[in-house]
Amino acid sequence: MSNDTLLSVRDLKARVEEKTILKGLNLEIKPGEVHAIMGPNGAGKSTLGYVLSGREGYEVESGKAVLDGKDLIELDIEERARAGLFLAFQYPVEIPGVSNLEFLKAAVDAHRAANDQEPVSSKDFLKQAREVCKQVNLPAEFLKRGVNEGFSGGEKKRNEIMQMLLLQPKLCILDESDSGLDIDALKVVADGVNSMRDGQRAFIVVTHYQRLLDYIKPDYVHVLSDGAIVKSGDASLALELEAQGYAWLEERKAQDPIELHQEVNK
Amino acid sequence: MSHWLTQVLARGSQQNQATSPWLETAREESLAALHQRDLPTRKTEDWRYLPLGILNRFEPATADTGAYQAEPLPGLESLDLVFVNGVLLTALESLGPLEPGLTITTLADAPEATGAAVFNQVKPQRHFFGLVNDLLASTGVVISVAEGCAIKTPIRLVHWQSGGEGHTRHLIHLAKNAELCVIEQHQGSDSASLNTSFSEYQIDEGARLHQSRFALQTGNALNFGGCHFNLSDNSQLHSTLVGFGSQLARLDTDINHTGQHGHALQNAIYLLGEKELFDLHSNVEHANPNGTSEQNVRGIVGDKGKAVFNGRIHIHRYAQKTLAELNNRNLLLTRNAEVYTKPELEIYADDVRCAHGATVAELDSKALYYMQSRGISQADARIMLNFGFINELIEQIDMAPVAEWLQAALKDRISGLRHQASEE
Repeated sequence: MSNDTLLSVRDLKARVEEKTILKGLNLEIKPGEVHAIMGPNGAGKSTLGYVLSGREGYEVESGKAVLDGKDLIELDIEERARAGLFLAFQYPVEIPGVSNLEFLKAAVDAHRAANDQEPVSSKDFLKQAREVCKQVNLPAEFLKRGVNEGFSGGEKKRNEIMQMLLLQPKLCILDESDSGLDIDALKVVADGVNSMRDGQRAFIVVTHYQRLLDYIKPDYVHVLSDGAIVKSGDASLALELEAQGYAWLEERKAQDPIELHQEVNK
Repeated sequence: MSHWLTQVLARGSQQNQATSPWLETAREESLAALHQRDLPTRKTEDWRYLPLGILNRFEPATADTGAYQAEPLPGLESLDLVFVNGVLLTALESLGPLEPGLTITTLADAPEATGAAVFNQVKPQRHFFGLVNDLLASTGVVISVAEGCAIKTPIRLVHWQSGGEGHTRHLIHLAKNAELCVIEQHQGSDSASLNTSFSEYQIDEGARLHQSRFALQTGNALNFGGCHFNLSDNSQLHSTLVGFGSQLARLDTDINHTGQHGHALQNAIYLLGEKELFDLHSNVEHANPNGTSEQNVRGIVGDKGKAVFNGRIHIHRYAQKTLAELNNRNLLLTRNAEVYTKPELEIYADDVRCAHGATVAELDSKALYYMQSRGISQADARIMLNFGFINELIEQIDMAPVAEWLQAALKDRISGLRHQASEE
């Protein structure tokens, strides 16, 4: 692996219970790049994020995933986060009783502790939190509310972006951060992401729609199908997919019965 | 008859403390009633999870009567009455002039008009340890608030038990349209001790009461407590109960809708670890129409702790348009922790709304994952989630200093709860 690779995923196979979902996924991401991952439902797009973040129940069978020189598979969930991985969830969890502010501070302090830094003072943090709140267009009252409690779909997505802004990760995975968003909220999400592009930080943008990619310009677009990346290209591939859909994937399989046979028997 | 009860009865008949005639009379009645009873055994449904037999072998540690300083709740200006090992240490005259409409006397000095009007008028006779407390309560206060008076300063009844026995009884009367806030705080050393503490609240028409009982005794303390309320027409109760387990802890609460359009909100929390035991029995009597009651009971049990919750709602035949809700949620932190929860609804009216639910669960693994994915360690995430679970109820306490003090105490307690059962 070259030093200049931020994330290297090699032949990653992973399963949920008895079902293998990722079937040999390869992905190389260099600092500063934006990679879009598209593909039909059930291809394993969300699974990739869960496997990389270490969600319980997602078991790696073989392969490697290395972030900035650290073998992710060996790390606990929280260690992966502190190593610079951030997953913006498609369906963020509601946690009544735990205030957003308290949650955000605990997350920031945990990241700081990993770098031998003292916890941030409550006063400084509040100031910082209010700023990012404003940046994602959420009223500051959202800091006092329970984590995602009673938030609309759009508010939850913006809350994810707010966390990303605070934690300043090295690699951000956005899992359908555009789903259920109106055009204004979509812009807020995209602006948040774009404001964080600094030539170093990289992004994996998982999406069904080309729409988001109008706002977050990808360097690469990959098509994930049946647990592996089957096609890669530049931003124009997204437009092609938008026009054609994924029916061609089925045709491709039909044309190659031996490969299909192998897939089934894996 | 059990050895322990025999002794209690003997002590009850020899009560030689100077008491007023009304109290003597009331005590004789309770003594007679207790002569007909015996220490409940596990065969009695209400007591089936409690090893009351340990009372017969109970040997209290020597009470340390040394300097106990009741710490104020930061930021709260309160009128504090301090009871150490069952003795009132605060001289009532030292309280200075009280707010207009507020009267405080000791139980022994209370005139019949204020004492007899409440003593055993709210707490039902069926409570075994209530009867014991009738006999043994050596001290307590009688608090009255006159008609229309809203008392601004909360009254804090601070109890500390460092060993021995302590028996306290408090009677509180809110006259028509009065307002009062009472905080009953119970703490102590972990030494072997026995404590009974019962309070009775008569809430007259249109009156409003904020009441809390923080039963935070731990270790080898044996506690039997009761909080009992009569709600008259249009009166309101906001009650918060918090219990830590100890070797044996039992709290009974009764909410009696003696009038119409009364509203009761009661939130209860218990947090247990080690081999601690906490038993909360709640009883709501809707004897009249148009009353509402809402109870939210939440508990967290770690290590080998054992929690019992019994929530009875009794809606009488004429209590139409009653609205009663009861919810009990429990989190178990280990495979060895136990919860016994039982809602008991008796509904004899046909036009009422009554809802109840009880759940026993483990921490939400999705929430845990979510927090960890933000870099928060699993241990910290568990504490935050456990705390969040009960904090929803604490946030309903109007007085910020009380809520903040409690939040700190509960966080501390939660951090100490084990997520894995301890080895023998």
